[in-house]
Amino acid sequence: MKVGYYPGCTLKGKAKSLDDTTMLAVRLLGNELVEIPDWTCCGATTPLTETKIANLIAQTRLLAKTRDAGYEGLVTTCPFCFSTLKRANKSLRDDSLKRRRMNTYLAEDQRLRDYEIPKPAWEEYSGQVKVLHMLEWLRDEIGFEYISRAVRRPLSDLRVAPFYGCQLLRPSEDLALCDPENPVILEDFLRVIGADTLDFPARIDCCGSYLSIAKPSAALRASFRILDAARRLGADAIIVTCPLCFYNLDSAQPRMLAEFADFRTIPVLYFTQLLAFALGSPMELLGLDSHTVDPKPVLMKIKRTAGVEP
Amino acid sequence: MNRTIVIPEVDIRRKSAARIAELSGQNIAGCIQCGKCTAGCMFAYEMDLDPHQVVRLSQLGMVDELVNSEAIWYCATCFTCGNRCPVKIDIAAVSEALRLIAYRTCPEKFGPDHVSDYDAQNAPQQALVSLYRKLGI
Repeated sequence: MKVGYYPGCTLKGKAKSLDDTTMLAVRLLGNELVEIPDWTCCGATTPLTETKIANLIAQTRLLAKTRDAGYEGLVTTCPFCFSTLKRANKSLRDDSLKRRRMNTYLAEDQRLRDYEIPKPAWEEYSGQVKVLHMLEWLRDEIGFEYISRAVRRPLSDLRVAPFYGCQLLRPSEDLALCDPENPVILEDFLRVIGADTLDFPARIDCCGSYLSIAKPSAALRASFRILDAARRLGADAIIVTCPLCFYNLDSAQPRMLAEFADFRTIPVLYFTQLLAFALGSPMELLGLDSHTVDPKPVLMKIKRTAGVEP
Repeated sequence: MNRTIVIPEVDIRRKSAARIAELSGQNIAGCIQCGKCTAGCMFAYEMDLDPHQVVRLSQLGMVDELVNSEAIWYCATCFTCGNRCPVKIDIAAVSEALRLIAYRTCPEKFGPDHVSDYDAQNAPQQALVSLYRKLGI
């Protein structure tokens, strides 16, 4: 399947290391992903009320652009993008009223915006593009078996706690990535690259999401519970997929140290950083300097024992 | 004297309940008050009304109590509640409908002025976009 890569806003800004390590890991796997031309915002969240139709335009525009660029699928690393694009795609497929409204908006939009360049008439978009998360793409298109053979630096000394968060799993009827109460895709992935994967009970909890800005103390307590659960299990690091989970779990740790007496810091890593590291990338390319809690000591442990030079 | 007396408040409440149901697109009347949403909610202990109480008050059309509660502003739309609901009510959508009603009566609930300098510089872009879309405007 010919897929286009959609990084989204955060991966080009605050979560640069997630974008860089995704590209690096894909290159190390001998593959290539090309960004969708002229991409825009995905809308970040799905409108839940019936009147918020306008909040679906960004998603539809992006999906139609992907189709027009000749891609059958779209792969993204950010769970917010994945969730909002997949849900918009589903409602365009299933809801004829929404489909008609969105296409009316975009047909008008095209006529007004691109008046200088002659274009063919608007072709209705009805959810043909397949929306994939990077984990799904690695599993189904690259293949976990291929990845396991490409691993240069097995991470068997690293005890990791996988953390899914909310946008990757729920609502499960729309996203259909895996079982919302007992997900396995991240655990499977981590085992493939050789990490000692813990059975982490808080892995489907919410880190506080955007409430860390509006209700900081509530979000801090939610994030603390997750980190504390990982520490009690003896995890070396928490593995996340989402830039917002990373922000809430990593950069809030100094505040947690001040607020909770028994708190110990724990490094947070993106799954792509771990993948690139397992595939033999030197540590300098992983963008670890942007972390609040330094994950280098934990990764150094592996470097020595596995005996593979960077 | 055999005339029907319509109590206005009941009428208003019935309309309010219908309005919440229509805005959210959820079958609020179907709630069986099992409490699964509250049991799973990561922020229930921060809320003044539990998620199942929000649905119960919505059934009764008690909009004033709901709009003035803190509960609807503590929803992070993580969808744990709706995903576990045995009668498939998306409580996150009910909260969003209530926030939409709240904006009409008390605008300026959350805006860029409320974002701290630290967050404005460091928070990921997606946090600000989703926050404004969920708790603002």
